[in-house]
Amino acid sequence: MPLVWAALWRNRRESVLTLLALTVAFALFGTMLTLNAAYQQAIEDTRMDRLIIACAFDCGAVPLGYREQLAQIPGVIAVGAQSWLGGYVADERHPIMVMFVDEGMRAAWPELPLSPADWRVLHANPSGVFLSRQAAARYGVRPGDELPVTTYLGSSRADGNPAWYLTVLGFVPDPPAWKSGFAAPRLEPMIVGSLSYHENTIQLGERGLVNLMRVAVDRPENARAVCREIEARFTNATPALYCVPARDDAEETADANINMRQISLGIGAAGLFMILFLCANGVAEAVRERLPEFGALKAMGYGDSRIAALVVLEAALPIVLAALIGGALARAADALVGHLADAGVINMPDVHASIASFAWALAAALLIALLSAVAPLYRLRHMDVAAVMAGR
Amino acid sequence: MSELRQIASVSLIGIGSLRERLGTALVIVLGMACVVGVLSSMLSLTAGLTRAYLRPEDATRVVVWNGANHFDQARSLHPDAVETILGAPGIAKGPDGAPLADPEFLMRLLSMEGFAAGSLQLEGVGAAGIALRPDFRMVAGHVFRAGTRELVVGVGAARKLGLGVGSEVRMRDGMWPIVGVFSCGGDIIESYLVGDALTVMAARRRAGFAQMIVQLVDAKAFPEFQRWLTENPALSLSAERKTDYDLRTAGANTAFFTRMTYVIGAIMALGALFGIVKIMYGVVRARTREIGTLRAIGFGATPVVVSVLAEAALLGAIGSLLGAAIAWLIFDGRDMWVWGAFKLHVSPALWLLGLAWALTTSLLGGLFPALRAGRLPPSVALRVQ
Repeated sequence: MPLVWAALWRNRRESVLTLLALTVAFALFGTMLTLNAAYQQAIEDTRMDRLIIACAFDCGAVPLGYREQLAQIPGVIAVGAQSWLGGYVADERHPIMVMFVDEGMRAAWPELPLSPADWRVLHANPSGVFLSRQAAARYGVRPGDELPVTTYLGSSRADGNPAWYLTVLGFVPDPPAWKSGFAAPRLEPMIVGSLSYHENTIQLGERGLVNLMRVAVDRPENARAVCREIEARFTNATPALYCVPARDDAEETADANINMRQISLGIGAAGLFMILFLCANGVAEAVRERLPEFGALKAMGYGDSRIAALVVLEAALPIVLAALIGGALARAADALVGHLADAGVINMPDVHASIASFAWALAAALLIALLSAVAPLYRLRHMDVAAVMAGR
Repeated sequence: MSELRQIASVSLIGIGSLRERLGTALVIVLGMACVVGVLSSMLSLTAGLTRAYLRPEDATRVVVWNGANHFDQARSLHPDAVETILGAPGIAKGPDGAPLADPEFLMRLLSMEGFAAGSLQLEGVGAAGIALRPDFRMVAGHVFRAGTRELVVGVGAARKLGLGVGSEVRMRDGMWPIVGVFSCGGDIIESYLVGDALTVMAARRRAGFAQMIVQLVDAKAFPEFQRWLTENPALSLSAERKTDYDLRTAGANTAFFTRMTYVIGAIMALGALFGIVKIMYGVVRARTREIGTLRAIGFGATPVVVSVLAEAALLGAIGSLLGAAIAWLIFDGRDMWVWGAFKLHVSPALWLLGLAWALTTSLLGGLFPALRAGRLPPSVALRVQ
């Protein structure tokens, strides 16, 4: 150990610089693993036993009458319907999106953060809405206030008035995976209203149609089969239905656009290559400069295995230390990763570097240390001790 | 010997001895290749998407929409406003003397298996919609007929979704046949289904267009055109040059990714920077006697400093070219679908960006070792074994 320590501190400045370079590379590697895990978590957080149903191709027009037919399909335990109202508050620079849901959502989409008491209040006040805390902060409203939503041309009320006056009933928590907005990133924070009010208020020609339905199935493993059954039953209907389990939808969305899961792994691999080049060069240089020292050790009776242990330890110590510090930095940079990923293609959960990221970083560090030591060890094994000692 | 000649001589000596320091030189080259390779590969997406959105003819075009709403699906431009816009000054005329302007309707379609919801766009265009796109060519079938429930599909969407002449798209009012497949010189519209605007709007039960594309007589006509629109009290319209509009739209779609790319590129460059400092200190140590000799025979400190910087910059530049070349070989021209079909593009600007990134990192990395080399007293340097 003293020999290893002395070798590492032979040139302090260069050792520190190597450590810094390796630490930054490992911090990047850890960050990319965290990002990858966050995308994976975002997909896994969506439930397989919740189905999303919309009309195939022409979105926005699922007949409410399908609700009962869907409920009859084996495996379906609840059906809920929802529609959106897009508009703005005050002027078009302040867009707003309100989600109107029916009572069926209590069972079909229990993740919606409305308590039984909230549902009762909503039922009793159909023109009311619940706002997530983010939405409340954005629009600066209090319970009891009126929230006037002006719709764009072509989506106004039956009475021709473009303004919808919604009463703020209260605030509900922001769903953890929706911190950037509901339905999709870059949209608005969550505002929930009653579908019955929306139905009774919109133009007559638009009534009886909703944007989508959500279905809860009895078992997650049945989800795809139930979806196939739903699509088959409605294949000749107008409109036909498109059905996808919520988790499959999240996975398709994540991978069909910018595939950050693949990209993060690619960047992590590039970071590891940088570490390998730097580490391999450092070990090779250290061995080359100290050939006489190794020659002397061999002459004193150090066997190949002890010399190998010495070189591997010299390679492994800084890289393992860098992996630990880099991993800690990646964990400290959770907020940065969360911020970077937040406006991505799917709703992201809170991002945290996991123990698994540390474990992968350590495993990669050890592997790189071993790989870096291979060529120098080969050289040491085949060196001519007498020639080296003689300075030839 | 002039200082410039000294710089050239010392730099050539340093670069000439690189072969003896091949391992360390390779670390800088490969490390920088990793940095620039990642940067160029990731930014090829932004460059490709921007190229698909930005067409050469867009310089003289304007997008007009109602109010300040930037979300194209939620806009509504009343047909009466369209008529008013056609009276604005500066609009180019077609061969028939009609103003070259076209109101468009945009909607998103839910998709089929294996395709993310809401990603396929249907664009309803009017009579001038095709005339406004000089690269528009039918590659199969025929163009849709006005007033009929027919669609044509762009080659990008056709490839991605397996659609072609004879396929049908289910709309709210029944099945719409696809009667043709078109190309448009790589324009993002190749990712869309296109049909007659008024017929699509009727099927969708919408009264307003999403936006209007206007061809101006030349780019200088824009300020007057915009003033005319915005000062008209009867209208509440926004107008933007199509180049600016497209840059903003494409930029918004990839903003998070571009931001992430630069952060990652900066982190990688920081790691490479430490590596380069370490390696260049090693280089100076290895060349100590040589530097001492040069100083002893009259070479100044500046040529020595510049030679070390030149070596770092050369290695960084080689690494950047290698990284960009690898990114180009692997990614350039590769089909991609991100909110539309386009090809990844490792553009000349990305090669230059990579070079600038690498040169900055290498020069910063070489700075302290170079200064140390310049300050080495010849008497000390010559005694080093």
